Amino acid sequence: MFSVAGNTGNTKTTSYKVVLPFYAYGAISFLAGSFLLFYTSRTASVHYFTPHNLAIVHTMALGWGTVMILGASHQLVPVMIEGKLYSNTLAYLSFLFAALSIPVLVYGFYHFDMGHFSQWAGIGVVLAILCYFLNLAISMVKSNHENVHAYFVLTAVLWLLTTAIVGVLMIYNFSYDLLPKNSLDYLPLHAHLGIVGWFLLLVMGVGSRLIPMFLISKYNNKKQLWWIYGLINGGLIFFVFIFLWGLPRFFLLVPLFSVAAAILLFGNFCVMSYKARIRKKVDEQMKISLLSVLMMCLPILFLIFIITGLITTHAQDLRIMISYGFVIFFGWITAIILGMTFKTLPFIIWNRTYHHLAGKGKTPNPKDLFSEPVFKWMSIAYLSGFVLFTAGVLLHFMLILQIASALLVLCSILYNWNILKLFLHKSQIKS
Amino acid sequence: MNVISNNNIQCTIALAGLQNVIDPEIGLNIVDLGLVYQIDFDEEGKKVFCSMTLTTQFCPMGESITSAAKESLKLSFPELEPTIELTFDPPWNHEMISDEGREFLNER
Repeated sequence: MFSVAGNTGNTKTTSYKVVLPFYAYGAISFLAGSFLLFYTSRTASVHYFTPHNLAIVHTMALGWGTVMILGASHQLVPVMIEGKLYSNTLAYLSFLFAALSIPVLVYGFYHFDMGHFSQWAGIGVVLAILCYFLNLAISMVKSNHENVHAYFVLTAVLWLLTTAIVGVLMIYNFSYDLLPKNSLDYLPLHAHLGIVGWFLLLVMGVGSRLIPMFLISKYNNKKQLWWIYGLINGGLIFFVFIFLWGLPRFFLLVPLFSVAAAILLFGNFCVMSYKARIRKKVDEQMKISLLSVLMMCLPILFLIFIITGLITTHAQDLRIMISYGFVIFFGWITAIILGMTFKTLPFIIWNRTYHHLAGKGKTPNPKDLFSEPVFKWMSIAYLSGFVLFTAGVLLHFMLILQIASALLVLCSILYNWNILKLFLHKSQIKS
Repeated sequence: MNVISNNNIQCTIALAGLQNVIDPEIGLNIVDLGLVYQIDFDEEGKKVFCSMTLTTQFCPMGESITSAAKESLKLSFPELEPTIELTFDPPWNHEMISDEGREFLNER
């Protein structure tokens, strides 16, 4: 009489205590990165390998992008792999290593002091990633559910680990002759391992699961996702090969077109998901997340100019190179985090505050826990700041750079305002 | 998707209550979303069993949704002890959303 279908499962999700420190740290890093950009905007178009630019890039890439992704993925990976997170302790350790190491590293870059503190900080970042990798790998092995998204994430973390190890070697290379060339020569390798291998692969892996899920879309195309996976990894491996074996620059077009094809396929995946959505209304958070997918094309356009320049004139156009870095770290990486933060964090806070009251009375909607108007103003400040700063670098116009970086500071303040509002939210219901 | 039950009258009462349990992300109730599979009643043992699913396993809102479903059954049948059993066989899919649910999502 009470027969119930088999394969019953539990729903035990990752504790909010594990995830929230990452969100808080990421938000503060975004604020710090924007302030650094504003403070140093006068020197923004001098050269990409300046102490200030290195400090900004690492604040944004590690403190903002990576920490935010690590935090959110501790919550989202169980959804993707349909299995429990293996260890909260490893998650805390990952946070601890990252939180202590990143400011030391950024300080080291800002003053260009690549001594012992920076060296230890680099190792700390590697340890943080190693903890995360172990946690993820064991969780996946234990879950027994293989899926394409999990492969994206695991491979992305392996690329991140490689990026960090190369980065540490570059730091040590300033004091000891570890590498055959100068550290500056390894910058393209270090940067692209991180940008393509970590950020692009991970965003596509997680995005291909979350975007249809949040749109309530029927669209699913595993074959297309495997193509994307192959194009990105194939392109990146070929790039490493070109770099290490010193092949002619003409060959750089192969990884460029390979990654560009992956971005186009991912764009197509998102468009098809959008068209096949059951929920017609798309909220502001999803709009900015979808816009970030479009923004992925910008670095490819800049890269075409950079590689063409390298092949034809062997010259580097610094303004295009700085714009290239900017449209990656303040562009699609920032845009997708700005959107996805408010698709995930309100639910985590709602669970923390109202979980025990579920079904016992009317609780507020997770979407009501942050300010929608502040989110809108944040988006406006962000988009105008982003467009103006890119234009300011390309036109070498100081006033535009300062106005644009001020708008990005405003965006980060508004973002932090909403984060603080969420963190400080208290139950409005008497239990 | 039709809900299986050994007591259709009691099941209707249960479903009316469960329609107040909303998936916070989607904004749709769990009955129209097609998350409820089976509701059985044991009048002698004074128990009500509900077999349900989630849109995705390890959904961060999963515990809240199942707790709310349990509270709803308690409210509908104060004399019965509710048990919620989660199942992912069959896994939830979009075809399980009711026509009313689709209409609701189309309008939002």
